[in-house]
Amino acid sequence: MSSSAVEPEAADLVCQLENVQGMVDSLSAVRWKRHQDAVVELSEHGIVLILEESNCLQAKVYLRKELFAQYDYNAEERPRFGVSLGLFVDCLSTFTVPGRASAIEIRYPGPDMQLLLKSLDSSDACIYAEIRTIIPDTVSWDYNFEPAGSVPLSFTVKSAALKEAIDDLEWPGSSIRINLKPAPPSVSFRGEGHGDLQIDLMYNVNSDLLLDFNCNHPVSHRYKYKFLRATTSNLPSSVMKENRGSKLTIGRGGMLKVQHLVPVGRAPFPNPHVIDSASHQQQPGRIAYIEFFVKPEEEEDDNRND
Amino acid sequence: MKFKAFLTENGVMLLERRFLPALDKLGKTCHLLLTKERVIFLHNLLNGDGIQCIAQFQKEVLFDDYRISSQNEDCIAFAVDLSLLQRAVRSSVSICSEFGAGGSPSNRLQIKLVKKLPPKCTQPMPYLTFETKGYKAAVIQDVPISKPLPRAQVLELRAALELAQELPLTLVQVPDLNQIQNYVDRMRHLGEMLNVSISKYGDLHLQISTALVSLGAEFRKLLVIGEKAQAPPEDENLSAETRHQRAIMRQDGQFVHVSVKHFAKSLQCNLTKPDCAFYGIAPEGASLTVIFQFFVPGTHQTDKSIGLHCRLPVLDPGTN
Repeated sequence: MSSSAVEPEAADLVCQLENVQGMVDSLSAVRWKRHQDAVVELSEHGIVLILEESNCLQAKVYLRKELFAQYDYNAEERPRFGVSLGLFVDCLSTFTVPGRASAIEIRYPGPDMQLLLKSLDSSDACIYAEIRTIIPDTVSWDYNFEPAGSVPLSFTVKSAALKEAIDDLEWPGSSIRINLKPAPPSVSFRGEGHGDLQIDLMYNVNSDLLLDFNCNHPVSHRYKYKFLRATTSNLPSSVMKENRGSKLTIGRGGMLKVQHLVPVGRAPFPNPHVIDSASHQQQPGRIAYIEFFVKPEEEEDDNRND
Repeated sequence: MKFKAFLTENGVMLLERRFLPALDKLGKTCHLLLTKERVIFLHNLLNGDGIQCIAQFQKEVLFDDYRISSQNEDCIAFAVDLSLLQRAVRSSVSICSEFGAGGSPSNRLQIKLVKKLPPKCTQPMPYLTFETKGYKAAVIQDVPISKPLPRAQVLELRAALELAQELPLTLVQVPDLNQIQNYVDRMRHLGEMLNVSISKYGDLHLQISTALVSLGAEFRKLLVIGEKAQAPPEDENLSAETRHQRAIMRQDGQFVHVSVKHFAKSLQCNLTKPDCAFYGIAPEGASLTVIFQFFVPGTHQTDKSIGLHCRLPVLDPGTN
């Protein structure tokens, strides 16, 4: 693989990020196994990464253009390509420096349709990466998440508490049943396998853990443990430290949506090598949105469905 | 064959805190060559495999009252396990400090070459013995060593040492070994072979290239020792890879392939706390050399009494 001597004209996307660690954290959150291929979609709104497994689990990472210090989008049609997630994250990690924010430029496409990364921190020392991309498979599972009814069925729980609960539920070694009840307002996670384990969160009691709760009728669905586990297994330490809420929503048919917020921090001091075209605009919180969609297991007993 | 010397406080500090921990990371065992004037630790000089590393000290840096005699022009060489050596120095240090200030005559650390009969053995075996005499107790630690090398092997070792001292024609000074170490630690599991190219313009380029990814770091405008040249202005805005390819075509640069593992290992020499490091490629691309430089404390003058350098074998790119 060789890079051309002349920079490509009008790349589809050239963007600059002030602190690559935030992007490493966001993408790491959707790494639930060793080998994963991600589909990347570029648009005028930002970058989206999509991963899926077995038609039962899908994850999306939204990196809105406001997260970037510079975002120049020039494509006529939205570029879409496949890339190895592990490789992408490992490459981004090479740009991080402990204790310091590192700025990078991301460019697509390179002369051979590569994804190009380049450090911006110093003019006399430069780190670069060229990652081969592939033509992606069509995302086969059109999950089409819809609300369960006119009132959404959702609850928000502190991210660290959610991860701990799911980690503990590994013990029964079975599917996990999630029950939502309006009276008393509560959510429970239950596993029945090698012994039983039930974790209850009461909205009016565990208000330090259960931050929000919306439910107007009881609902109960089962989910395969390994897919549920994937939604929290690699939450970055920045999320655990900030410990905001992760929102879980049950949609039509029992589809579970799990949303996390990952901070994509700004550098403490302006980086002289980064052109910050966004500096004068009012910044929304510098957050990347992570969404997981988990299909429920089929129930033998139809009465338990919503 | 006789060897006896007292470790100085400076010697203990250099060995215990800086050099032995680093050398241990380079290889479990090494040869120790003691001459009339110098003390030299040598990794892989005789077997030709893996990274070669040479750490040499003028005897006064490490020892007082240094006495050596042998039939090989007063040279003695043997193999020693570095972790055992490190442990012996470390525990001797703690005994010295426990029983009073180090350096006073009553509790100096003496090292001696001896032959002792180990339990359940009929043959006496050679040891490097560490003896500390405190106010109330004497502690003796025996570090087992190999049989001292015969004359022919000592000569071979000394010849290999001479050969290893040859300097590349161009050396570039690396400003921050921590930066390189941090980078290599993160990129190392992405590939096995590292391309290293060095130009007379003062550019150092490290690259891992596989079917899926090409990852590189370029350090530019470094201080050059030896043969240097002016970088052509038209190369200024080229990519790192293209810039180095052009330099090599003009014979202003060289490149070699080395094992990422070896490169990362050589960076463990950073534990010796050098003041700077130089990279160079031997003539004909025979090896990659890295020379660590130490300054006289409080100055920018090279301390010529301490030397440390590594030579990394080069790989045939076809065997990636």
